[in-house]
Amino acid sequence: MRRVLYVMPAALLLFLAACEKEARVIAADQPQTPPRGAQDPRAAAYENNAYQVSQGGRYFTWYGCGRCHAVGGAGDLTTAGARSDLAHIYATVAHGHTSGSRIPSEQIWQIAAYIRSLPHIDAARAHRQDRDLRGEPQGATWSGALR
Amino acid sequence: MSRLDDTWADKPGWWGFVTTVDHKRIAARYIVTVVAMLFLAGMLALDMRLQLSVANGTRMGPQLYDESFSLHGSTMLFLVSVPVMEAMGIWLVPLMLGARNLAFPRLSAFSYWLYLGGVLMLWIPHALGITPDLGWFEYPPLSGPGYAPGHRVDIWAQMITFTEVAALAASVNVVATILKMRPPGMTLARMPFFLWAMLIASLMTIFALPAVMLVTSMLIADRLVSTQFFTPAGGGDVLLFQHLFWFFGHPEVYIIFVPAVGFVSAIVEAFSRRPLFGHIAMVLSLLSISVLAFGLWVHHMFAVGLPRLGNDFYTAASMAIALPAGMQIFCWIATIWSGRPRFATPMLWVIGFIATFVIGGLSGIMVASAPLDLQLTDTYFVVAHFHYVLVGGAIFPLFGAFCYWYPKATGRLMSERWGIVAFVLIVGGFNLGFFPMHILGLEGMPRRVYTYGPEMGWDGLNLLATLGSAVSVLGGLVLVANALVSYWRGTPAGPDPWGGPTLEWAAPSPPPPYNFEHTPVVTGIAPLWEHDDLPVMTGLNDEAREVLVTSVVDAVPIYRQHSSGPSVWPLISAVAVSAMFVGSIFTAWAVIWGMLPIAIGLILWFWPVRGRATSGPLRTRAR
Amino acid sequence: MRRMVLLACLLPLAACAGRQSPLAPAALQAEWLHWLLMLMFWVCGIVYALVIALLGASIWRGRHRLAAKPEIEPDDRRLSRGLGVWAGMIVVGLTVLILGSFVVERQLADMRAHEALVVRVTGQQWWWRVQYRDPAGGGWIETANELHLPAGRTARIELGSVDVIHSFWVPNVAGKMDVIPGRANAIDVTPHRLGWFRGQCAEFCGAQHAHMAFDVKVDTPAEFTRWLAAQARPAAPPTGAALVVANGACASCHTLRGTAARGRAGPDLTHVGGRRSVAAGTLPMSRGALQGWIAQPQALKPGTLMPAVALSGAQADAVAAYLESLK
Repeated sequence: MRRVLYVMPAALLLFLAACEKEARVIAADQPQTPPRGAQDPRAAAYENNAYQVSQGGRYFTWYGCGRCHAVGGAGDLTTAGARSDLAHIYATVAHGHTSGSRIPSEQIWQIAAYIRSLPHIDAARAHRQDRDLRGEPQGATWSGALR
Repeated sequence: MSRLDDTWADKPGWWGFVTTVDHKRIAARYIVTVVAMLFLAGMLALDMRLQLSVANGTRMGPQLYDESFSLHGSTMLFLVSVPVMEAMGIWLVPLMLGARNLAFPRLSAFSYWLYLGGVLMLWIPHALGITPDLGWFEYPPLSGPGYAPGHRVDIWAQMITFTEVAALAASVNVVATILKMRPPGMTLARMPFFLWAMLIASLMTIFALPAVMLVTSMLIADRLVSTQFFTPAGGGDVLLFQHLFWFFGHPEVYIIFVPAVGFVSAIVEAFSRRPLFGHIAMVLSLLSISVLAFGLWVHHMFAVGLPRLGNDFYTAASMAIALPAGMQIFCWIATIWSGRPRFATPMLWVIGFIATFVIGGLSGIMVASAPLDLQLTDTYFVVAHFHYVLVGGAIFPLFGAFCYWYPKATGRLMSERWGIVAFVLIVGGFNLGFFPMHILGLEGMPRRVYTYGPEMGWDGLNLLATLGSAVSVLGGLVLVANALVSYWRGTPAGPDPWGGPTLEWAAPSPPPPYNFEHTPVVTGIAPLWEHDDLPVMTGLNDEAREVLVTSVVDAVPIYRQHSSGPSVWPLISAVAVSAMFVGSIFTAWAVIWGMLPIAIGLILWFWPVRGRATSGPLRTRAR
Repeated sequence: MRRMVLLACLLPLAACAGRQSPLAPAALQAEWLHWLLMLMFWVCGIVYALVIALLGASIWRGRHRLAAKPEIEPDDRRLSRGLGVWAGMIVVGLTVLILGSFVVERQLADMRAHEALVVRVTGQQWWWRVQYRDPAGGGWIETANELHLPAGRTARIELGSVDVIHSFWVPNVAGKMDVIPGRANAIDVTPHRLGWFRGQCAEFCGAQHAHMAFDVKVDTPAEFTRWLAAQARPAAPPTGAALVVANGACASCHTLRGTAARGRAGPDLTHVGGRRSVAAGTLPMSRGALQGWIAQPQALKPGTLMPAVALSGAQADAVAAYLESLK
């Protein structure tokens, strides 16, 4: 009986964490400013939210990042995602490429969250998600939908 | 008498609750759960209607609205419509057969626990905010790993797995009971029409449900272990999902409709005071509906651009099913015409059914035409159509069946006056609410939109639809209140308050756990009308649970079968199966490791505890 | 009874049926479907009236015939003949409707012309990319959320999807056709009535499915040619505070031919000011609508993939004015 009582708070925390992960953040107040250092609480909200990560994955494709940074390729960002925190990745995306300066802030948040999630999904799943996105605009050279 | 009572009694208290295999108690808990689900899904619908009653409504944003219609559809189709028909079968089949229990008592308990698992699988995540939000049929790629992050889709898909296994278990039980446990003399020709309906619906379930189990498992596999069934870039096909889903999805609506046809026939027969007209035509119509239903599924896919010849074939087939359905309508009306009808509440529901369902059937003919469907599908016209056939064609007969068999189940009569009030509110409110949706569809309003602009001109009819729906919800509350109040304060009913023809009216109201003291012997299609004193067969053991097994066509007694007593193993096995289903959302290893507790549960369930059956000739004696 | 009321309602409805309704056909395809709808209404209406009449008659007949003892072996010979007649009537009715359906199907197929104008429409969450073959160059002229069609000529609309299943539906013109990833669907339309109509996505495609509409204009052939030629022309480049359109965030997703903006992810904005609506039919076109959309897209279409872009007040005004001028 006591063991059940010990397990329940842990289970409850697990549930609450699960809820946070699953929330769909469809709201008008997306962040418009870069992370304020590594401890910005917004970073945790983005990293732990499946919706933000998947949006980031879509923008990763749209901006043509996959051309150089495809999972399993030469520019694979999985180790970068594991090594750096979200603020660092944000800064690299926003300032490390010339094109990054034109990406709006709220999208860089999501792209950074996506890169941070790469170490947690296996390559097969990353590839599988990419296949679903194969028809999406892939940077400036995109020619049309998958027919 | 007390020996039979002792033999068939359940264990006392909550242990008895958990281990019972009494089909009536199991059906009761199914019905209570179904009514709760109906209420919750109805509240969701009312919420959506409030959102849509004005243009640019602000009650709900898109996420909440999408969750609402997904939950409403999934609950109504998987957790209400099919389970309630199974439940009525589980309750009524042994009673109408003069049998003591179903063929597989513990399997019926197992099917309820798994159904409850399905309910919890969908509604606990909803309480936690992780509601599936892509509709009740979640097409990929929208539901694939690229566009549906997280576990909402997996929750939906596994809920389906729960409810299908439960439905398969219940169906197998019903088929075996109807084919092998009929009373002596009840040849297939003398079998009441309701039992034909349950038999056919259960056989359809067995053939149709594996398709949805397969397709939702494929979707989970795509999301969990990165298979490529539904992704074109990986060589898969998006339409494969639709074909497999609708191969199940179309028969499913007939699985819902066919038992309702059984309810209507039983009520019409009893209240017209004559056997159903055209019994053979009715049975043949039901058989042809059951076969045809498997050949229509593409009519849900007329807009996907399949070859024209295919569309033509499915148009013809989809319209052809109106022939048997139309003949059944004639047979019921003919029964009323040539009978001596008495218009108590159950009969009112039959009239409501005919007036409402035929509208749904006719709008169905319109959407059955492939070219015309391209204007009507995915609009409010088809929303109106399927609500007319599901509510008019299944819920109204269900309410009639509730009123009709309520005295048998509880020993009391429901209030006639409040029954009429509920009927008027529900049927009137439903038609007021849903008829305008035909017009909304013809004015271009698509389905599954959380809002619309004021320039579209859809507000007036939407407001009317909301008002009508609210009226019918009120009627539903009156019906439930009537049922609850009558449970304690209703007029006591004897065994046969309506003067019905079939065997369940020979049992006491409510029936004891063993249903009948002696097995009735049947000599015609309306046994209680043919004999004032029903002939019976003696010989079943009083001191051990026994049921009679008879031959398939002629119901000649073959042997006495030991019937299982109370057991906790169905619950434990169901818990083990649930653990495996829930775990497999998170990791594929759950399927492997989850097998161990299931194996243990099943082995202990089926552990042989009795000696081999002894066989020998059975003698029956009519008394 | 209800069918009669519906038929009575339909007549005025046809008059007020709007620009997104199958009841006011503007093209040959929709005309045939309207004919089929009317055939269905008549046949089904008669059937329903008959069923209700029979039901009513049987209730009326039975109202005083209560009896204590049930009739166990009634004489059903007349009724059996009646069943045969009824079944025959159903077969005749269904045959009429099935044949009607086949006739319409064949008519729709026969309307496929070889000299069709080719338009490529691509559905994307949650807007429509529209491309015309450039008669001069042979490339594609791209616009978004607005389809212009010449009256009297068949247009073959080639459908494709970028992400999930959508459905292309302009009820005044033709039935719907799903837009499916990995599948090349097409629909032929032959509009003949001039005017503005509205289409809307008709397959649930995510959070903003409700706001994925588009405008359809049926022009005279001369007007259409003029319009297409205008669409082919590049945009005047932006100046001053509006330069952010070509050099800033906008350019990473949008194309404005004639400027440095070459993004492919979002709608082509070369002639956005000349369109009838903003954000796929969500708001009527105006400078205010453009400015509001750019400033806070999540407020208008929560869940949209267009980000809010941080612009200063002067920039926002200039950008909206510039875009509105791109007619």
